[in-house]
Amino acid sequence: MTRYVMVADLRRCIGCQTCTAACKMANGTPPGVQWRRVVDMEIGTYPDVKRVFMPVGCQHCSNPPCLDVCPSGATQQRDDGIVNIDYDICIGCASCAVACPYGARYLVHEEQYAYGDRPTEDEKTNYNNKYLGVANKCNFCAEKIDAGVANGLTPGKDPEATPHCVNSCISGAMTFGDIDDQESNVSTLLRNSKHYRLKEEEGTNPGFYYIWDEA
Amino acid sequence: MKQSHHVKTVPSYCYNCVAGPCLMKVKVKDGVACEIMPNFDAEGIHPANGRCCVKAYGAVQKTYNPNRVLTPMKRTNPKKGRNEDPGFVPISWDEALDTICDRLRAIREKGLIDEAGLPRVAATFGMGGTPVSYMGTFPAFMAAWGPIDFSFGSGQGVKCVHAEHLYGEYWHRAFIVSADTPHTRYILSFGANVEATGGTCAVTRHADARVRGVKRVNIEPHMSITAAASSEWIPIKPKTDNAFMFALLHTMLHEHKRDELDLAFLRDRTACPYLVGPRGLYLRDTETRKPLVWNLKTDSAVPFDTPGAEPAIEGRFRIEHAVDVGADDDVASYADVDAETVMTKFVDHLGPHTPEWATAICDVPAETIRRIAREYLEHACIGETIEIDGKTLPFRPVAVTLGKNVNNGWGAYDCVWARTVLAMLVGALEVPGGTIGTSTRLNRPQSNRLKSVTPGDDGFMATNLNPTDKKNWEATPSGRNAHKTLVPIVGNSGWSQALGPTHLAWMFTRNPPDNWPAPTYPDLWFIYRSNPSISFFDTEEMADCVAQMPFVVAFAYTPDESNHMADILLPDATDLESMQLIRMGGTKFVEQFWKHQGVVLRQPAVEPCGEARDFTWIATELARRSGLLEGYNKAINRGAGGMALKGNDYDFSLQPETAYEVKEIWDRSCKAATAKYSHGDDVHGLEWFEENGFFVVPFKQVDWYLYPTMVEQDLRFELPYQERLFRVGQELGNRLHEQGIHWWDEQLKEYAALPHWCDVLDTWDRAVEKMGSDPKQFPLWLISTKSMQYASGNNVSIQLMNEVSQNVRGHGRILINTATATAMGLKQDDRVELRSPIAYTRGQVALSEGVRPDTLVVPGQFGHWATPYAKDLNFPSLNKLAPMSLDLTDATGSGADMVRVSVTPLGDAT
Repeated sequence: MTRYVMVADLRRCIGCQTCTAACKMANGTPPGVQWRRVVDMEIGTYPDVKRVFMPVGCQHCSNPPCLDVCPSGATQQRDDGIVNIDYDICIGCASCAVACPYGARYLVHEEQYAYGDRPTEDEKTNYNNKYLGVANKCNFCAEKIDAGVANGLTPGKDPEATPHCVNSCISGAMTFGDIDDQESNVSTLLRNSKHYRLKEEEGTNPGFYYIWDEA
Repeated sequence: MKQSHHVKTVPSYCYNCVAGPCLMKVKVKDGVACEIMPNFDAEGIHPANGRCCVKAYGAVQKTYNPNRVLTPMKRTNPKKGRNEDPGFVPISWDEALDTICDRLRAIREKGLIDEAGLPRVAATFGMGGTPVSYMGTFPAFMAAWGPIDFSFGSGQGVKCVHAEHLYGEYWHRAFIVSADTPHTRYILSFGANVEATGGTCAVTRHADARVRGVKRVNIEPHMSITAAASSEWIPIKPKTDNAFMFALLHTMLHEHKRDELDLAFLRDRTACPYLVGPRGLYLRDTETRKPLVWNLKTDSAVPFDTPGAEPAIEGRFRIEHAVDVGADDDVASYADVDAETVMTKFVDHLGPHTPEWATAICDVPAETIRRIAREYLEHACIGETIEIDGKTLPFRPVAVTLGKNVNNGWGAYDCVWARTVLAMLVGALEVPGGTIGTSTRLNRPQSNRLKSVTPGDDGFMATNLNPTDKKNWEATPSGRNAHKTLVPIVGNSGWSQALGPTHLAWMFTRNPPDNWPAPTYPDLWFIYRSNPSISFFDTEEMADCVAQMPFVVAFAYTPDESNHMADILLPDATDLESMQLIRMGGTKFVEQFWKHQGVVLRQPAVEPCGEARDFTWIATELARRSGLLEGYNKAINRGAGGMALKGNDYDFSLQPETAYEVKEIWDRSCKAATAKYSHGDDVHGLEWFEENGFFVVPFKQVDWYLYPTMVEQDLRFELPYQERLFRVGQELGNRLHEQGIHWWDEQLKEYAALPHWCDVLDTWDRAVEKMGSDPKQFPLWLISTKSMQYASGNNVSIQLMNEVSQNVRGHGRILINTATATAMGLKQDDRVELRSPIAYTRGQVALSEGVRPDTLVVPGQFGHWATPYAKDLNFPSLNKLAPMSLDLTDATGSGADMVRVSVTPLGDAT
């Protein structure tokens, strides 16, 4: 079996948003849509304060609430754990966006460009209007992973088969791999560190782990 | 039918901030740049394994920004000012270049230097030298031209880590100072926001450090990104770091045992054993004038370099015969004179600066100061060694780093001295794990700081001070910021002028002070990647100063607040459209110290948009049309384009009379660089570099540290006592007073052999009073901070940067302590007006627990009124509120980004 998961090491993350930008660029998402982004959280009262940076996005749950509520069957779960959306089927009802406890889904109805109402040259090339009117979110760069695997590469190890956010991360905070493989990078990392997941009590069984010394 | 696309991936570099170059690749689809990604070919070579930061990802939008200037333009409205429409109209390159070169030729005929003794041509480049990595062969044009005035600043130097640049380089060839992050275990960071501005190499290394358990204590008024990622945050009162550091030194010297210090280092590698006499000068041998030490073996005073001597580190002694040498060769002779060692003086000097004294000033509990001192000493590993490249070096894994505002402005001398001395005390200066330098800019060669070390006077390194003796002092300034006249320590390298007090060039040209020759305006001013109307102090006044420039040639990306006053706009091909080969690796700015060194190519991923042209083409045309082609090509041959084209075993020189194509120049540069680095074994031209991106050879890790060079040459660090600077300051004072100049007297007080603690906050209060205001009307401190997304100004017009920055607390806002805000009735996002004695700015508040109650923070440098996209953000600006003032300028010519302000809620008013 294979289950791809993301591991974010909060000891390393500095909230630089490089992954946010890299994801947007690689996927051609419209302004305001951030499949990967980093939340800047503050905890405590002056002077006993903590500030933590937390990469968020679709958690690729093995028990995804978005799947259950999708009326069209556009939201699908692959054998390798990736929760995907078939944009051709999605009717843009946004039930999934409401159901998702992680705020991971976006829905944009109008064309928007970085500078006013006309696309720049790169937007003409990169902009993907297949996202208009349908739910969209992080898909762990599924196309890239599939192409890489087809070429005998290992997701999470070989950059050509690894999600863009992971490749771009300058602090080494992001790791991606197969948690079903006990010897994989993610399995080794998780075995040797304290970690937690978000909203486990919701029963979603998320595929996104956070390493934190105080977990 | 599925459309087929032509896709290619092109290696390049980003050098938009001083922590570059970072490597990257550009994906191009059907001739359009559409994606930036890391260059993983550099895995294991680049310390961040080929990754670039968020800024680089803006390069695609930067290329296709619809607001770009894409054709040369000329001004049609002769009046200049913020409220004057320049009336720019498009012109051809021929007209633009001929207009400029006609003017340049006329200047040459008049004479390169005007009646005031100042260059007729001036140039300003921004962001800490980074434009050099984008301006192609323009330096060769400037070299061919002759004297150019680089005095008119835009914030680089003066608002940068200025005192650290100058004193760091002076004391340990550390124009930039860094922790040896891969080896250290304990870092005291006084506001050094390395996670935001240290670049990818720093971020990678500090992340690794955190995981391996390194403790970093971040001492600063707000919880910056770096403080967030540190083990401990100490919320110090702004600009009181000197008190904290003096108290640390006091604790280590007065409350800890001597064997917790590195006594061998103090004895052999510093001035600690040197004997000081009644005038505060070294007591010297009467014959040789060498500084004396007390030899414990013979119980007598001997020259410091006496073989076999065992100098006393501490003590008071009576010296039979000695001389001292004061300012202007004022020699005093002594018989039976009382002397004390530098160490003894140093210990006494710190006597009053107890933690209790410091607490009242910096608002950090005395117990915390004592604990930090203890932790520092406990981590120092005195006596331990480590092997690096087969050499055994001391291992001292404690480091002290300083950030902007700590190492510039008043009090900066105290802080940079204290941090260097903290390293000195435990022998952690320029050794593995400790506090190290990474580059030189005032001493040659710039490419190898170790080679810049040569023996000088008194057992220290040779210095490069501007003369202050009567015969050689530059009484009439040769540049408009008078760096050689006013700032001896800034030296006389190609960088020195831009590191002088560059705000004085603006101030004095408008309003010369007493007994000062009135500077003239330059006949022509080049400006590139620089926007002083936004990035300097008192931006309203600054824009007005820029408007006084008679003829401005601006290499323009978009319209901005400074090129609003230009006469000609030239669109240079930008990051992804142009070509240049630069050095990388070795040791360089911030935490760019590698185990490799070499060169990296930036190449056009796409054709330039509109009429934008490669800077190298522009430089060649300027040279050709102004009759300087021969000098220009010879300058390129000598290395003005980055690499000398001729070496012992290779010659790729240009023929002086020929105007070369851009690619030909860089092809020869590639061949020369690879010939040099590989000693001729592995020579590659442009085509190879277009495919492979970079070329490196090994760089010895042991060369990260200056210590072995100091030992090899038997030199001491000129620490802690600044006998030479004390004397130089007295001489400078003599020279200035002879001219009737007394307006630099406060600055002269900084030339103390041991720094006197500067009450910075009181200095500010008095400056406010002098401005005619009551300090009590401005009860809060406003400071700034950087974000990675904007840590160099050229991203302000990039939509992607603004969008991703919305995730970062405080972006575009005024950070205010939650309790302080609540007491004023403010809620998140409410609008307020911040007012300083000179101006006001308006913006929305962001409430935070991670800010001192008496402090406000405005990230970045905004307040744009001309730059498209940026001007519609309506973000507040500290720079608008900060005075450009001699009273707030330290002896090195720098000022800090901090202002006393009042806060007024605006309610629904805009």
